Amino acid sequence: MLKQLSTLVALLGVSMLSHAQETFPRNGAYDQRSGRYAFTNANIVVDSKTTITNGTLLIENGLIREVSKQVKIPTGTVVIDLKGKYIYPSLIDLDSDYGMPEVKIERRTGGRQTPQLESNKKGAYGWNQAIQPENEAGKLFTPDAKKAEDLRKMGFGTVLSHSHDGIVRGSGALLSLTDESANKAILNGKASSHFSFSKGTSGQTYPSSAMGVVALLRQHYYDADWYAKGGKNQEKNLSLEAFNELKGLPSFFETNDKYSLLRADKIGDEFGVQYIIRGGGDEYQRLNEIKATKATLLLPLAFPEAYDVADPWDADLISISQLKHWELAPKNASEVAKAAIPFALTTSGLKNKNDFWKNIRTAIEYGLPKEKALEALTTLPASVIKADGQVGSIKAGLLANFLITSTDLFSKDNVIYENWIQGKKFVLTAINAPDLRGTYALSINNQPTGKLQITGSPEKPEYKVIIQDTVKITPKAILTNELLTLTYQPDKKRQETIRLTGWLTGNALKGEGILPNGNVVPWTATFSEKFAATSPKDTASKKAIETGKIVYPFVGFGNEELPKSETVLIKNATVWTNEKDGILKNTDVLIQNGKIAKVGKSLSAPSGSKTVDGTGKHLTTGIIDEHSHIALFAVNEGGQTSSAEVRMADVINPDDVNIYRQLAGGVTTSHLLHGSANSIGGQSALIKLKWGGSQSEMLIPESKTIKFALGENVKQSNWGDVARVRFPQTRMGVEQVFYDHFLRAKDYAQSWKAYNAKKGGVAPRRDLELDALAEIIANERSITCHSYVQSEINMLMSVADSLKFKINTFTHILEGYKLADKMQQRGIGGSTFADWWAYKMEVKEAIPYNAALMYHQGVTVAINSDDAEMARRLNQEAAKTVNYGGVPEEEAWKMVTLNPAKLLHVDDKLGSVKAGKDADLVLWNANPLSVYARPEFTMIEGTVYFDRKKDEEKQKTMAVERERLIQKMLSDKAEGKPTQKPQGAQPRMWHCEDIVGVHAEHAEEN
Amino acid sequence: MKLEKFNILNRAALAVLMAFAVQQTHAQNVAPALPQTKPIVLTGATIHTGSGQVIENGVIAFDKGIITQVGPAGSGNTTGAEVIDVKGKHIFPGLISLNTTVGIQEIASVRATLDFSEVGEVNPHIRSLIAYNTDSEVIPTLRGNGVLLSQAVPQGGIVSGSSSVFYTDGWNWEDAVLKKDDGIWLNWPAFLARSFNFEDFSVTMKRNENRQEVMDKFKSVFADAKAYADVANPSPVNLRLAAMKPLFEGTTNLYIRAEYAKDIVEAVKFAKEAGVKKVVIVGGDESYKVASFLKENQVPVVLNPTHRLPNRVDENVFQPYELPALLHKAGVKVAITYSEEWWRTRNLAFLAGTSSGYGNITPEEALQFITRNAAEIIGADKQIGTLEKGKHASFLVSEGDILDMRGNDVTMVFIKGGKVNLDDKQKRLYEKYKTKYSKN
Repeated sequence: MLKQLSTLVALLGVSMLSHAQETFPRNGAYDQRSGRYAFTNANIVVDSKTTITNGTLLIENGLIREVSKQVKIPTGTVVIDLKGKYIYPSLIDLDSDYGMPEVKIERRTGGRQTPQLESNKKGAYGWNQAIQPENEAGKLFTPDAKKAEDLRKMGFGTVLSHSHDGIVRGSGALLSLTDESANKAILNGKASSHFSFSKGTSGQTYPSSAMGVVALLRQHYYDADWYAKGGKNQEKNLSLEAFNELKGLPSFFETNDKYSLLRADKIGDEFGVQYIIRGGGDEYQRLNEIKATKATLLLPLAFPEAYDVADPWDADLISISQLKHWELAPKNASEVAKAAIPFALTTSGLKNKNDFWKNIRTAIEYGLPKEKALEALTTLPASVIKADGQVGSIKAGLLANFLITSTDLFSKDNVIYENWIQGKKFVLTAINAPDLRGTYALSINNQPTGKLQITGSPEKPEYKVIIQDTVKITPKAILTNELLTLTYQPDKKRQETIRLTGWLTGNALKGEGILPNGNVVPWTATFSEKFAATSPKDTASKKAIETGKIVYPFVGFGNEELPKSETVLIKNATVWTNEKDGILKNTDVLIQNGKIAKVGKSLSAPSGSKTVDGTGKHLTTGIIDEHSHIALFAVNEGGQTSSAEVRMADVINPDDVNIYRQLAGGVTTSHLLHGSANSIGGQSALIKLKWGGSQSEMLIPESKTIKFALGENVKQSNWGDVARVRFPQTRMGVEQVFYDHFLRAKDYAQSWKAYNAKKGGVAPRRDLELDALAEIIANERSITCHSYVQSEINMLMSVADSLKFKINTFTHILEGYKLADKMQQRGIGGSTFADWWAYKMEVKEAIPYNAALMYHQGVTVAINSDDAEMARRLNQEAAKTVNYGGVPEEEAWKMVTLNPAKLLHVDDKLGSVKAGKDADLVLWNANPLSVYARPEFTMIEGTVYFDRKKDEEKQKTMAVERERLIQKMLSDKAEGKPTQKPQGAQPRMWHCEDIVGVHAEHAEEN
Repeated sequence: MKLEKFNILNRAALAVLMAFAVQQTHAQNVAPALPQTKPIVLTGATIHTGSGQVIENGVIAFDKGIITQVGPAGSGNTTGAEVIDVKGKHIFPGLISLNTTVGIQEIASVRATLDFSEVGEVNPHIRSLIAYNTDSEVIPTLRGNGVLLSQAVPQGGIVSGSSSVFYTDGWNWEDAVLKKDDGIWLNWPAFLARSFNFEDFSVTMKRNENRQEVMDKFKSVFADAKAYADVANPSPVNLRLAAMKPLFEGTTNLYIRAEYAKDIVEAVKFAKEAGVKKVVIVGGDESYKVASFLKENQVPVVLNPTHRLPNRVDENVFQPYELPALLHKAGVKVAITYSEEWWRTRNLAFLAGTSSGYGNITPEEALQFITRNAAEIIGADKQIGTLEKGKHASFLVSEGDILDMRGNDVTMVFIKGGKVNLDDKQKRLYEKYKTKYSKN
């Protein structure tokens, strides 16, 4: 219904076009014209699939009336003979801010700021300043003559424009690039809705992270639904109202890279919305997953400049992925086309808009078919925005928006002469520029003076005066219509200038000149030879450009081919089973179908299996890091005291090299936690370190956990004096945060229960934050709580007891040794550091004997990292518990394997070497608790993701690939292509203390 | 007005906290070792001398704080000596932890306990010597893992100040110090600068455009200092320049913190041209790129913690672990340290252990990174660094290999012949809570 309505609106818009200013008074006599033009003898490219050669296009009143080989031209028509020139539909850009008010984002600088907890937008709008569905591009639009002209010059006739501000950005308007009034320019004032991951001008603290944006958007959709179904009787909310009115319109999501693209699509899936997604130009790096989204893409044409890699040490700053992306970015559109993913092209993201044509031609050189390129700029965007009845092709009834070009639109020497918009002509290059090219005999004052040679193109002729067949002089020449001015110095040394002015007559030139001595003389240039074009190199005929391979993930140590699960027999190893059998010497382990098939002596190898000699080596299950922040795009949503609604699963970064580094240290599974910036943090993600795999391949979705935090971080003790606003500021306040939230969650769960029982009435408002807390109360989600001192640990246990929820794990728990008995009684695990202390007040009484004391009291103890560096030697950290407090070696080893598996409730599959469990295994060269131990290989589900020998080979391959790319860049530099100074992105290391914002700045200040 | 009140309250709260911390410090650290009163002989141990030699079933004898004999079973004089049988155990020279803030940093988040960074840019006259707090609760925890010597190093500014090397035992700084004012520390302006984007919180590395300015400042400071040093009795006295005089006499080190290869080359060239006699590169993440240059110029390298991640995403995953061995094999003198860290230095032995496991060198070679090489770099190799006759009887007895978590179990420590009490606050808390649970 809504769809039909929007089409109707669009049609109305069209039919009213010629009368758009009916209501306006005129100054002077009415000047109505039919605007009837016929373009004959044209090659009319109707759309990417159809071309009419030698056809006629008839337009009237701003609309196309007829297109075909034979058009009966009515009398009273201006006929324009195009003499074989081309007509193309004018182009469409769907990601534009044309005519929108400037979005001024105050850049945050160093130093801390007082947090802005509430929206600064006054009025009956929603609570979050970054949610602005009430913004209507149609109402915000004011024509911008300069920008319209720039866009027309590039060949555009129509743009979809919206205010690029905020997460929910309101509606977009389909605008024609006419130079007339706004009333005429707006083709559809409410054509689309727009979204992004950027807060824009909002200075409100929430959301401060990508997962916070996801949560906010999801909640917004639920709120809008609730509002429509009855919430409107409880409160007036103009934002929700406006949002509901946008439903059904094409929805556009602006993203910056492949992973935010996938993240956006996932949000849409939950609400039955298929976003049209503007990507970042790196789609080729994850094509399969992107294709699976079924989204139509908007692709930018921004390609990175080459780096100046002349100095080998400076060039070290540039990573292989930067080098490879430089090489492959121009190939992106071609790859996307090859994968049959529908896409439109956009100029957005281009720093210099003049690069548009250059880059599109480069993309074609890199294999993008021309038809695809044309489709991506005309019919496809038109249909995406449901305006294919108005624009995008040359068909009767559509707007007379078209280009007149000299040849194939994408050819290097093509000239766009005119861009007609709504039947109005805009001249870019004079269409009937006389073709003066050729060689002429020059005569001044009736004396033969040499030759005049005119080459180049008719639009841009190049002149040469040749004297005595050898001296070539480039004169200054100005050609205006058919008038020509030529000045030149026959002899440079003498600095004497001859000045000629004249006109075209037949195929000759003649006129009057003044010689340096002041004599006025006649001159002529008589046509003698035709211009012979030196065959220009046709770029399209060049052979396909060679590029390196795409690796997964798209970083150093990535795989050209993903490793596969194998059948492996490991013979004669010392096997740390973590089971009753303990440590078995001279034992074999068989791995099949990703599982441990058998553990025993003298096992025989099934056919087709690989045998590994484990003599003198130790085989263990993979390390599980219970507290990790690797492979994440963000860690803290610190905008509010509780952020139970955010999910770390939304921000998994499979490209983080730390995945590979940790595999090299024997880690196979990591529990990715939210930070400790607030009392109730986000929902954690448990991942397997499948290097090269996708986000969903890595995630273990069954694991449902959540991060809580206590102490100095949540009360913001160490964030400086500006951070004295957010509740709580004391441990006293922290307790009340839990009571407040859990009591609300209880009520919430109750109200849903009541609603579900009676199956009628108005549903309670779905609250994602309380959902997560209700799951805790229902024992469906486990708490991992960041904690240090005994008072707060005791407090949370007592809160949990009184509200009848369970605490699963205390993490850090550096004073766990003081309360180990209480933890044991409640079955709460402790996941701690081996020996950290002294870095802040709350770790003053931390002792390295903590793990041992808790262990001896029967607490399930894990040793974790909270640190990308420490994680790759967690075996060493576990070993310290033997030293400090005498934990048996076998038990110490469990603290980084089986025990975290238990705490994460995955010990049915992970954590020990037992038939039937996942083959997540590490083969060590020595006792894994020794400082000298290092993994020979690390496998996950029977697939080897790290292998010491292959790692060495990889380094060599990388060096070769790197040098190939550097050589290529150097040749580019030698050819004079622009380069940029080397700069590398510093890998961001997350710790649980890192709060995006305040703390990160602090870290940089130090 | 309101704000001011708030601040006062806040300060008051902090003062209370501090008073509490200080009180505890006084209450808890054990008494330092008393001077050696009679000869002692340890027998039966495997002695790792620190110079690469291993003596199975060896004997070590010492008197008045000085080693009198190191040799095989049966060697040496035991008359009148206390003979201690340490059969099956291992003896190592006291580990030396350079480049730390032990004694001048207590709790990182509490400003009042931080004494390592002075205001001002050029502070050669600032001395860690007199700020070193022997009552720090961190210090006893280091001895327990074999760290018997620690260099307290001022941080900050361009010229940070002067370091001193202390025993991890002593009544006060005068008592604990082994080497006073052993060197001046300088922060070389990095070739690459980090720039932080407050919009997306990313960090970008690019050329440091302000570098030349800082280098010019160095040059003029050092030129002035050299000229000042040439005057016998300069007047007026300039504390800063006076502090730099020993650099030109070769009696103290110039420690230059530099990470990138180009920085290292320029720093060394600068120091030589300025007339500085002894230069040490500190940090040196990229020192492996200029190993031959360092060897030629006989410049030792004090590495920052090698338990770190590679600096670049494409770098060999194990590069930091392999780094000390790479330099060692190239003929560069290397020490491994825990720069700017304090409590973590108790893990110093494990940095060396890792460098052996990943760097393809023997544990005895790796041991030198934290014993002999460190002693030579600070110019105290006559007293410490190896177990040899005539040197300080400052060593430890461990149940096993000190470089390995599986062996690092220190049961006995002697500092200048005095037997050190290995108790610390953490052990006392351990005992306290063992008591709690024994009642269950």
